[in-house]
Amino acid sequence: MSAAPGLEPDPPASDPSWRRMHPATPAIKGWKVLVGVLTVLGFQVADDLRPLLEDLGGRAVLVVLGGVALITLVGFLYSLVAWRMTRFAVTDDAVHLHSGILFRQQRQARLDRLQAVDIVQPLLARLTGLAELRLDVAGGSGSNVSLAFLREADAQALRTELLALAAGLRRPGSAPAAPVAAAPAVAPADDASAPVSTAPAEGERAGAEAYGPFPAPAAATGPTVPSAFEDAPERFLYEVPPMRVVVSTLRSTAFAVVVVGLVALGVAIVQTGDLEMVFFALPALLGSAGVLWNRVNRGVGFRGAISPDGIRLRHGLTETRSQTVPPGRIQAVRLSQGPWWRGPDWWSVEINVAGYAGEGQDQAETVLHPVATREEALLALWLAVPDLGVEDARALVDAGLTGVDDDGGFVPSPRSARWVDPVGRRRRGVRVTPTALLVRSGRFWRRLDVVPHERTQSLGLEQGPLQRRLGLASFVVHSTQGKVQPQADHLDGRTAAALLDEQAARARTARTTAVPEQWMRGR
Amino acid sequence: MTEPTVPAAPTVPATPTVAAGPSEPFAPAGVVWTPVSPRLTRVRRLLTALWLGPLTLVPVVVALLTSSPVAWAFVAALLALDVWLWLLIPRQVRAMGYAERDDDLLIRRGVMFRSLVVVPYGRMQYVDVTAGPVARASGIAEVQLHTASPATSASISGLPPEEAARLRDRLASRGEARLAGL
Repeated sequence: MSAAPGLEPDPPASDPSWRRMHPATPAIKGWKVLVGVLTVLGFQVADDLRPLLEDLGGRAVLVVLGGVALITLVGFLYSLVAWRMTRFAVTDDAVHLHSGILFRQQRQARLDRLQAVDIVQPLLARLTGLAELRLDVAGGSGSNVSLAFLREADAQALRTELLALAAGLRRPGSAPAAPVAAAPAVAPADDASAPVSTAPAEGERAGAEAYGPFPAPAAATGPTVPSAFEDAPERFLYEVPPMRVVVSTLRSTAFAVVVVGLVALGVAIVQTGDLEMVFFALPALLGSAGVLWNRVNRGVGFRGAISPDGIRLRHGLTETRSQTVPPGRIQAVRLSQGPWWRGPDWWSVEINVAGYAGEGQDQAETVLHPVATREEALLALWLAVPDLGVEDARALVDAGLTGVDDDGGFVPSPRSARWVDPVGRRRRGVRVTPTALLVRSGRFWRRLDVVPHERTQSLGLEQGPLQRRLGLASFVVHSTQGKVQPQADHLDGRTAAALLDEQAARARTARTTAVPEQWMRGR
Repeated sequence: MTEPTVPAAPTVPATPTVAAGPSEPFAPAGVVWTPVSPRLTRVRRLLTALWLGPLTLVPVVVALLTSSPVAWAFVAALLALDVWLWLLIPRQVRAMGYAERDDDLLIRRGVMFRSLVVVPYGRMQYVDVTAGPVARASGIAEVQLHTASPATSASISGLPPEEAARLRDRLASRGEARLAGL
């Protein structure tokens, strides 16, 4: 197929800088079609199918099976053609991906805008030793580049290479924009990058001291990856025990709802003696069971580590995901705790990363720690915001997590706010440190949002008629799309206005001293 | 990035719509607000009339045909809403304004539910200028700023086209000068 006018012509097939995905890709992607068809059949058409089968008798089964087989075959063929048409190349500045069968697409992702790199392995890919490499660039939904599927080793080598390039390191001796030779399992470039890349680790350690009594990562000597040339060294920080994941799932609102639903169903069946009800309740039950299963599936084996390339997260039971978030890419952090987690003092830590949201994905990739103890929560927060800008970070965070009123220097909502928020008023509060803004709220569902000053996008002030009467105003920090949307409701009007003014100035100065986009380069 | 920090202009009064003074949350000291074009009132009234007019007419016809007191009460309520909106719209338009500071743009709006947004120029990803048919006929346009955050609701409606174009270019050039990553 020749390129459409307006597109640059496809490179010749012999060009070694352009690579294809692994040949097994269509086989793996094709299965999705079969699963999709079966799901639709199972859930949507099952009811209509039964009378049809009865009408047509035995032959109908063959017809249906034949239909499914045909659709699956088409799916495989499509995947095959799509694979043939997909090629990618890596240059010093960008990743190029050409894809599409009828509608050709040539996508170019700039490496200096790289927000995160994930290696995703669905179950089937894991069994076959393949992996998908996903590049997140901050371009809104659908802007990500997915390279699926590559051999696992290739995907890892490619990730290392991309991170090194994005960090501002260059391949030594290579002419500018010289593309990589096929599959650099051990890229010679990394000879040079390895010694360079260890240097910022010292800086990270210095940042750890800002947190004072923290279990500094230097002390957390976990299993470190042997310093192979191809990867930046990483230091293990935390791992979530499987039991805690299970228990935390049982201690969730979702589980309580399931239990109540089951009990209600049981009572209803006993009362009416009508078993049919099970079938009505089945979809809802399956749905909730799926939610619970997802939580366990994602949380088991959740590991966090740090490397010069940024934060490394690894999680997943069936589908594994290995994320790398480079330094300075985390836009905001939220620590939250429901009423059921109060006893063991567990917290979940979520982050905003520009590339992650708007993908239609569930929250799998925005979790920094699914169930953290207090210590781990502090560690996770340190990962995201290395410097809180105060002497005693621990006391500050403690005050933010569980404190009320003006604990820890927080500016609380005034007493007049009790008319609009009688329950949570005393928890509402804001604290500004030289480097970050902390917003605290929630009496039963506790919450602490942290936004580094240099990451605020824009700021807002809102006031309704009731709030004006009471002299209150709400202060909003606009962060990138994601779960963390920090908002300090019902502050004193003047405080909020002063905050808005100062925050604008602080964000301005913080941006000028922030980590550069290419984090291994000087400014 | 070596601008003077805050423009030293404490003597400039705020617009008459809001009581001046540093204590007022929605009137930061030393900010000169630019009001939007009063033609926006006409456009908004017309657009409101377009959907509220038929909505009011139907009950009126029903009330005339049935002459039931309930229907007439409903008509009265709707008419009260019409009048209230008619009077509210000019106040809303007067409450809108924007201010270009050295490093950020301020946008405020709202009479009952007030809001003020501060958008740093360096955070702007792109700027939209739009105008619907009614707005075009009246000679006004809307400028909308987009940052990397979908929560940023920074739009200024009711700008004369030349002012909209000027603002767009100015924002674009300022954004470039102060460009920061995400």
